[in-house]
Amino acid sequence: MKEVVIQGLTQAYSNLVHMFAEFLPRLLVMLVIVLVGLVVAYLLKMILRTVLHVTRLDRLSEEAGASRFLRMAALPSMTELLSRSLFWVTWCGFILIGISVLGVAGLQEQISRLFLLLPAIFVAILILFIGLVTANFLSRAALLAAVNAGYPSPKLMSWSIRFVIWALAVSMALEQVGVARQTVIAAFSIVFGAFMFGLAIAFGLGGRELAREFLERNLGEKKTEKYEEPQPL
Amino acid sequence: MAEESFLADDFIRQLMSVGEVDLLVGIPSYNNASTIEQTLHSVEESLRQSFVRERAVILNVDGGSGDETRQIVEQSSERRDAGHKGLTSLRTIHRISCMYDRSPSQGLALRSIVAAADLLRARACAVISPATTSLTPSWIANLLRPVYREGLDFVAPLYVRSRFQGLLARELLYPMSRAVFGQRIRELYSDEWGFSGRLASQCLEQDVWREEAVRTRPEAWMAILANGAGLKCGQYFLGPKTVSPSATGPDIVEAIRQTVGNLFWCMETNQGYWMGRSNSQSVSTFGPEHELSADGIPPSQDKMFDLFRSGVNELEPILASILAPDTHAQIKAIALSDRTKFRFASELWVKTLYEFAASYHRAVLNRDHLVQALVPLYRGRVYSFLLEHANSSAEAMEAQSEILCQEFERQKAYLVERWTAKN
Repeated sequence: MKEVVIQGLTQAYSNLVHMFAEFLPRLLVMLVIVLVGLVVAYLLKMILRTVLHVTRLDRLSEEAGASRFLRMAALPSMTELLSRSLFWVTWCGFILIGISVLGVAGLQEQISRLFLLLPAIFVAILILFIGLVTANFLSRAALLAAVNAGYPSPKLMSWSIRFVIWALAVSMALEQVGVARQTVIAAFSIVFGAFMFGLAIAFGLGGRELAREFLERNLGEKKTEKYEEPQPL
Repeated sequence: MAEESFLADDFIRQLMSVGEVDLLVGIPSYNNASTIEQTLHSVEESLRQSFVRERAVILNVDGGSGDETRQIVEQSSERRDAGHKGLTSLRTIHRISCMYDRSPSQGLALRSIVAAADLLRARACAVISPATTSLTPSWIANLLRPVYREGLDFVAPLYVRSRFQGLLARELLYPMSRAVFGQRIRELYSDEWGFSGRLASQCLEQDVWREEAVRTRPEAWMAILANGAGLKCGQYFLGPKTVSPSATGPDIVEAIRQTVGNLFWCMETNQGYWMGRSNSQSVSTFGPEHELSADGIPPSQDKMFDLFRSGVNELEPILASILAPDTHAQIKAIALSDRTKFRFASELWVKTLYEFAASYHRAVLNRDHLVQALVPLYRGRVYSFLLEHANSSAEAMEAQSEILCQEFERQKAYLVERWTAKN
């Protein structure tokens, strides 16, 4: 009995030693990968930061109005945000590779799923960013055009454009990540459809006179008197 | 040569067949079928009467007219060859026609003209708009002569204006360009002007032809380039100007986008030149320096004030990002004032424009949007001007214009301060 116990303990000890002997090199490899990843991520961050400085992305972002939103959200400049994002994405990638080298059962599958999701998340962030910039630019252009032409409710027009583009960008980003795909599409269709329907009703019923005036001015024979400004040049 | 890359082969062949010339008159056209023949006739008459011994070429550059403009130019050329050959001129007056692009652009048209001037070694050139119906042979001679005979490099026109016409030029473009660049050229933005072959060659060397500011209004850029290069500029009084009813010019929003956008762009690209300059110098002027006619009734003003007030209100966040807090507060305050007692003071107007220019330089928002945000404020200034001068004489208005110019010059240090500020 005693011998069996000793043999069992010896076996367990030997297994433990064997496990450690097997695990330690993997741990070392993982640490090396993480360290190399840190260096690579840092280098990539510096390269991207330099490239973005040269291409004057911050000025572009300032012009498009995206920087204002970043400041409101207490985020750094566009160049800094993108280079930091690249750093973390790269380093996280290396960390995940390192963890997979450990060979821990069960983690492998999760890591592969995470790896598959990473590009989708990156694309989703990109979609949101482009949506934000486009919404700001177009809504401001619409606001200025409406104000300068003397149209009624220019802010409503501007916010409508902003809302539609945001809704489109958010639904596209969520679909990209694969979050409740069907729900997102259905929700977007309902919101967008309702918005357009609401506009149609508002314009058709609430603004019958305005609609008539608009159609007469643009399509009809009868011309309304045009406001004449003094010749500027 | 730079021009080899953009001039069509056929156009180069036509230029080569002409050889060298002394004078070149460029006529950029776009759907000007109703007036182009008269323009060609005036130009030819001018060359026959005033430059009998000079070798001359008339160059029509078309921006893809959809009407009969190009056919009329060609037919008119054939008729002229048959009817007038060698009768009054000692030299042949050549005619060349080409299409520079499929869409109109003053800048691209000018590029073809200066390239032709460079290739033909023209000494004096003029650009003439076919939309101008008051064009007479003396106009062309008056734009060419100071360049050809007096050695000037850029000649701007001067027109007779009605009291309430050209307010953008009088309230903004002339005083601001005068204060910033230091030269008193009144009509920096016009459809007719003259220039030397030397200036044409310098223009051709610049890599700016694709810039929106140059594509739409190249004439001011050309004058500022001449100014910066130390070339001589002048202006010639041409008389009253009328344009064809089909070409009434851009509306106020488009005019501000083109001209003010161009002025700010010129400031941005020539900052090394103007920053250290103070005061302004007169340029050689032939004829009266300005002439406001007493005719013209003040236009309707109420709508203008409404547009100013709603603009200040609706564009509040945009204006806040462009203007200094104090200036913005003053504008908001006057927007709330009673419309009969409204006054947009010159001091505030100048400050506002300089802050817009500095914000354009720092690109606090999209530059075209920034320029568009100026439209309601310009309307406010014009409303104030009309309220103040509805019954003023032309002389009183001129005196007021000079005071405004001096205010722009007085506040130039503020512009430099805002321009060079870090934030």
